[in-house]
Amino acid sequence: MFKYLTQPLRRTAQIAKRSFCNSKLSGSSAKITAAKTATPTVSPLIEVRDALNGWEDKLKEAGVNDIDFNLKCIVSHVLQRKFNTVPDDFAQLKFNSEQLVDFERFLEARCARMPLQHIIGEWDFMDITLKTAPTVFIPRPETEEFVRLVIENYRKVEHVNMLEVGCGSGAMSLSMLHALPQVDATAIERSKAATKLVWENAKMLGLQERFKVHNHTMETDNYLPEELKDKQYDLIISNPPYVKTEEFQFLHPEVVVYENLNALDGGSDGLRVARLVFELACRHLRPGGKLWLELGNEHPPLVKTIMNLQYQGRLNFVNSYEDQYKRERFVQLEKV
Amino acid sequence: MLRKLLRVRCEYLVRRWASTDPLSFHNEKLQTYLESLRQEYYALRVNAAGNSNLYARLSRLDPVVNSLEKHRAMQRNITSEKDLAAEKDEDMRALMEEENSVYADLLRKQEEAMLHELLALSDDEDYPALIFEVNAGAGGQEAMLFAQELYDMYTSYFEHMGWEYEEFDRETTDIGGLRHANLQVNDPEAYNWLRFEAGVHRVQRVPATEKSGRIHTSTASITVIPRPADVQVQIAERDLKIETKRASGAGGQHVNTTDSAVRVVHIPSGLAVESQSERSQLKNRELAIKRLQAKLIQQQLESTEASKKATRKAQQGNLNRNEKIRTYNFVQDRVTDHRVQQGGTLHNLSGFLEGGQQLSGLIERLQLEHRRQTLVDLLQTWKPPAQEAADKN
Repeated sequence: MFKYLTQPLRRTAQIAKRSFCNSKLSGSSAKITAAKTATPTVSPLIEVRDALNGWEDKLKEAGVNDIDFNLKCIVSHVLQRKFNTVPDDFAQLKFNSEQLVDFERFLEARCARMPLQHIIGEWDFMDITLKTAPTVFIPRPETEEFVRLVIENYRKVEHVNMLEVGCGSGAMSLSMLHALPQVDATAIERSKAATKLVWENAKMLGLQERFKVHNHTMETDNYLPEELKDKQYDLIISNPPYVKTEEFQFLHPEVVVYENLNALDGGSDGLRVARLVFELACRHLRPGGKLWLELGNEHPPLVKTIMNLQYQGRLNFVNSYEDQYKRERFVQLEKV
Repeated sequence: MLRKLLRVRCEYLVRRWASTDPLSFHNEKLQTYLESLRQEYYALRVNAAGNSNLYARLSRLDPVVNSLEKHRAMQRNITSEKDLAAEKDEDMRALMEEENSVYADLLRKQEEAMLHELLALSDDEDYPALIFEVNAGAGGQEAMLFAQELYDMYTSYFEHMGWEYEEFDRETTDIGGLRHANLQVNDPEAYNWLRFEAGVHRVQRVPATEKSGRIHTSTASITVIPRPADVQVQIAERDLKIETKRASGAGGQHVNTTDSAVRVVHIPSGLAVESQSERSQLKNRELAIKRLQAKLIQQQLESTEASKKATRKAQQGNLNRNEKIRTYNFVQDRVTDHRVQQGGTLHNLSGFLEGGQQLSGLIERLQLEHRRQTLVDLLQTWKPPAQEAADKN
């Protein structure tokens, strides 16, 4: 059922991806021919304002929200300038012809609803900038609020030995490490590509000394990789996949077509992976250690019931918290 | 004989001049003022126990009274003219005279030191922090470029002086200019230096943006708002309404909207601040709250009567838009401060813009002049306590 719904979208996405790659090739071949003829022609500069002409309508037609912001992100990426140095009205900014080609290619991709973060290849999360890639789940603004909450809770703790389950781009662990020097973090991640990317991010931010990442898929009775079997942690954080399978039909194309579904699918009630994390926490949290989870809208009361019914004497429900949109989404649990 | 007459005449003239210059040590009023400070000091030493305000006054009086006492001790060493005349032995008298001239020299130095301490005492305003603003003025892009240069100069000056500062707000332009910036400088010393920088700064040069090589004149202004210790703004989270563009509906993993722009409304005051200069929503929210805090502090400062006066005083240069305090002329490689009567022009402009010793030296001169003026004003209105009591009767 779900496949039929997304098929047409997938097809358009494929076309977009193909043109994305083709133009990359044609762009470089154009450069080669230009070099061969060796005529030092100065490429004419185009005002950014003129280059924008008509794209706003096209984006609107494609159903993209927050268009001004999207345009500004792409313009600053094409010009290779920091986002906060680009003026909102693009006054006096110019593209050369290569940049113009890039710019139009990126906007074409955006019209096909490719996520903005994939197009520009990086994203800011709290105080750090992370590389992003299509295989990796893109961190959301709510997750910033979640991490802020955890950081506030651990600001005064002397030393924290932390584990993250399913770290994706590394946004949560690396932000914690960046904000709190007393944290040591270990992460597990099922995707090989993501494991590689998060390590790159850690090195780029100079945090590799206090960070380890293992490529491992969490399963029943095989929660942590062999070398971590006997480890106990003070804190476990996770943003597990929590989208219910039935909800997939309502997701945005950016999410359902382009994002790694492994990072989203939480089974019929959205807690399939979270349940595995509960079991992992029972085994690898020290007594009194905490488990913090970011979940979906209806989950915290459900988690409370599960704790009371199935985990008595093992895990306690401490509290739940709202995200910045006043949705009850975050929970804190404690190992007994 | 003639020489002796001449010396007597000279001494008389010096004394006459001294009594008219209010800051000369021999001025009678200054003498009584010093004596009253000395008495205040010893009275405080007895009574100050436990009162932090009195202690603060005591510690400020300490160097003045200290050097006054030294001066008096030295004065006692000088042999009086009467004794000198009574001395019959020629050699002995020559020795005494020589000794006297040495002491006179020392006394003069001590007087200078005392005056310096006394001048420092005339800074009557103490603020633990201040808000420092740079605004581009007339002259478009060129004025914004100049504002950026001033910004760089002052931030390196803060570092030169070892003052801590934090940035609340800063809006830049794409060609490297600055529209405005808002900083807080956290140092009790800072106000007594930076107050002289408030006003309109003018630049004359051929701008980078000018194609036909004409010289332009543009301006940027500096505002210095002292922040008293009792101004504190605590923003409670429940007083804030944080708005973003995201429409209602599912959030989290269900959608991928970037949704970074933030608008923060402070409900009690109705003030609203927006931020969309960063890609991260949380960063934008932090920035917006910081700006809101700066605004609230400013509002509170403007509402308190005392600081209103201080602010106006500090920004006299701003009252009259034509009143520029300093000109930076790149063509002639000079800086001219229009408030300094003599020698207000300095060369080596690029060195000046580094915000180091040169800028510091100029501010020091302005500061000294200001202190002198306050002391003169003070002495003019000051009455000895006894006389005051008599007036009341």
